Amino acid sequence: MTTMIERSLKYVDERLGTASFARRALRKVFPDHWSFLLGEIALFCLVVLVFTGTFLTFFYNPSVREVVYDGPYRPLQGQHVSAAFDSVLRLSFEVRAGLLMRQVHHWAALVFVAAIVIHLCRIFFTGAFRRPREVNWLIGMALLFLALGEGFTGYSLPDDLLSGIGLRIFYSVTLSIPVIGTWVTYLLFGGEFPAGDIISRLFVFHVMLLPALLIGLVVVHIFVLVLQKHTQFPGRGRTERNVVGKRLWPQQTFKSVALLLFTTAVLALLGGLAQINPVWQYGQFRPFDVTSPAQPDWYIGFLDGALRLGPPWDLTLFGFTISEVFWPAVLFPGIAFGILTLWPWIERRFFTKDYAEHHLLDRPRDAPARTATGMAGLMVFFIMFLEGGNDILGVLLNVSVEAITRALQWALFIAPVVTWLVTFWVCRSLQRSHAHPARISAGLRLRRTTAGGYETAPLDPTGNPE
Amino acid sequence: MDVEQEREREQRLTTDQRRAERAAAVAFTVAILAGIGLFVVYFAGGQTQIEGVLFCLVLGGLGVGVALWANRLLGAHEAVEERHELTSGVAGREAFGHALAEEVGPTLARRSLLVKLLAAAGGALGLALLLPVLSLGPAPGRTLKETPWRRGIRVVDETGRLVTLNSVPEDGFITVFPEGHQGSADAQALLIRVPAGSLELPPERLEAVPEGTHVAYSKICTHAGCPVGLYRATTRSLLCPCHQSQFDVLDGARPFFGPAARRLPQLPLGVDDQGALIALGDFYEPVGPAFWDRGRK
Repeated sequence: MTTMIERSLKYVDERLGTASFARRALRKVFPDHWSFLLGEIALFCLVVLVFTGTFLTFFYNPSVREVVYDGPYRPLQGQHVSAAFDSVLRLSFEVRAGLLMRQVHHWAALVFVAAIVIHLCRIFFTGAFRRPREVNWLIGMALLFLALGEGFTGYSLPDDLLSGIGLRIFYSVTLSIPVIGTWVTYLLFGGEFPAGDIISRLFVFHVMLLPALLIGLVVVHIFVLVLQKHTQFPGRGRTERNVVGKRLWPQQTFKSVALLLFTTAVLALLGGLAQINPVWQYGQFRPFDVTSPAQPDWYIGFLDGALRLGPPWDLTLFGFTISEVFWPAVLFPGIAFGILTLWPWIERRFFTKDYAEHHLLDRPRDAPARTATGMAGLMVFFIMFLEGGNDILGVLLNVSVEAITRALQWALFIAPVVTWLVTFWVCRSLQRSHAHPARISAGLRLRRTTAGGYETAPLDPTGNPE
Repeated sequence: MDVEQEREREQRLTTDQRRAERAAAVAFTVAILAGIGLFVVYFAGGQTQIEGVLFCLVLGGLGVGVALWANRLLGAHEAVEERHELTSGVAGREAFGHALAEEVGPTLARRSLLVKLLAAAGGALGLALLLPVLSLGPAPGRTLKETPWRRGIRVVDETGRLVTLNSVPEDGFITVFPEGHQGSADAQALLIRVPAGSLELPPERLEAVPEGTHVAYSKICTHAGCPVGLYRATTRSLLCPCHQSQFDVLDGARPFFGPAARRLPQLPLGVDDQGALIALGDFYEPVGPAFWDRGRK
């Protein structure tokens, strides 16, 4: 056994010279903090998505050709449905473990985007995007957009009524872009809605173009991370010049494998027990039908909410029209995500003037203005997300939808300001309290004197030996 | 610390480790058993919920075992790694610049016309490569401004049955299409029956409402294009379930709440000799959400 391993190591090393590189890789140090696992969860969701997604493509048929459903689900027997919808029903009811795979895939997509967003928050609030990591911040933002694109295209593939309405709204949004909107929409959709090509086009985007970009950029993201080494929270023995933590082999590898297994286990449990996107209940998409209440997947919720909150203002200039859809669904996300993408440059140019290299992270309280701005931004998205479910909230709270919309329209302007002020005040109070998790101030250490005796001495604020 | 204490500490560590080993063994056993169970369930015909739980146990059992191994059986000491300088320094960059410009630089400087032509040819290639994109869709033309409704075309419901004045119950509504275009996405219209004399429309538009009771509007929301599928007969208002725009049926489908900015376009209707409803033309305005040249003829 040992000789076999030795022999194969020798074989590979003599041809590729990998042994010394691999040895260095095994010794790589990973800081030990739970928040560093968020990105890993996203990565593991991607692994699950690739495997379950590949399984689904073997059964899915991206065609809108009309067929008569004759499967085991009685309420739809004899109905005219698209081949796409029919194949999803077959996958759900006739392929063994098919429904499990479909539901695990959908749950994995929801957790994937959630993990990316929380990972993004971690990077933002700890200042991990500062020099030299602006490059990886940009790649991360691109990954977020690709993940959203993957989510939306995948959501639309079953050709069910709910996703068809989502697609109709997306069509209206691209149509609202000034000057080029109609052309862009017609090139994207292949004509006036619902042009027959759209499902097969979405399929190509979902299983080929976007995944290729996504996986390629994930590889670059990790490559840059390895090249620049991890950031770390300040603490005893941790400086700008080193990384303190667990080695890749064996501790970090065991931990990551365990996390991969846990992530997959949770997704399997969700996929098995928690029903998601029961398209047979929505039925086949028909352009003149509609369901109520109608909610998209969670990460599109803010956009749907923005559309519900938007003012009924269209603009006519020299005979040309700018749709009321343009402001909430194109302009707002464009500005919001634009600011977020450029944040590393905005922050240093207008606020901190800090162009230095940083490898030690900020505690959120130590950068009160950044923390407050981030929380205010999250509040904007949260209010839009709430409005996206205003019909469900209305039923739950027994309040009219109109009242909820008006209240949230006010909240959209007031709540972020209040959030900013409260967060800023909390950060300042925490700073003043001296209860700082990164500083060991209340402590003494034992020091041996030159005479051979012992004496106590205070620790310096960073906890580092003098 | 005396020797006795030291030995006791080591002993405790090993009992700790032994306990962890035992727990990990249990976890791996659970994974094995769940795996066997998965086989049984699958070949017995499959059952989504049980499959999910068993998959979770296989993966979770493995995960617990590996995590125990990582946290309790492997050394917990921290390692320190020094960072290296990221930059190659001024000298490194200059060397790279030299390597880059060594042979190409002088030729570029000498043949400026050639370089310009190269850039132009590259641009031409870029534009040529864009051409296939134009094949992806037809030119919009007037398609967004027109629907299949024409003067004299008969009104049918979604199954293709001809619609007469009696097809709609009092205070009721149905979805209608031009004959031969059932299910059409842009021609879909709502035919609503309201009490005589209740409509407040300009006189020429009121003439296109048979009996003054059967009024038809486009069913596509002028906001984001969802079918306006909910009708409240008590307030005579239409509600779009997607973004809750509301339209006043009696006042020419004027939007009075929500994000929609424009009325639902009215469809002019008449009655033919056989009593069937017919269109008197297309909708008065382009249907659906706004687009750039919507207001142009």
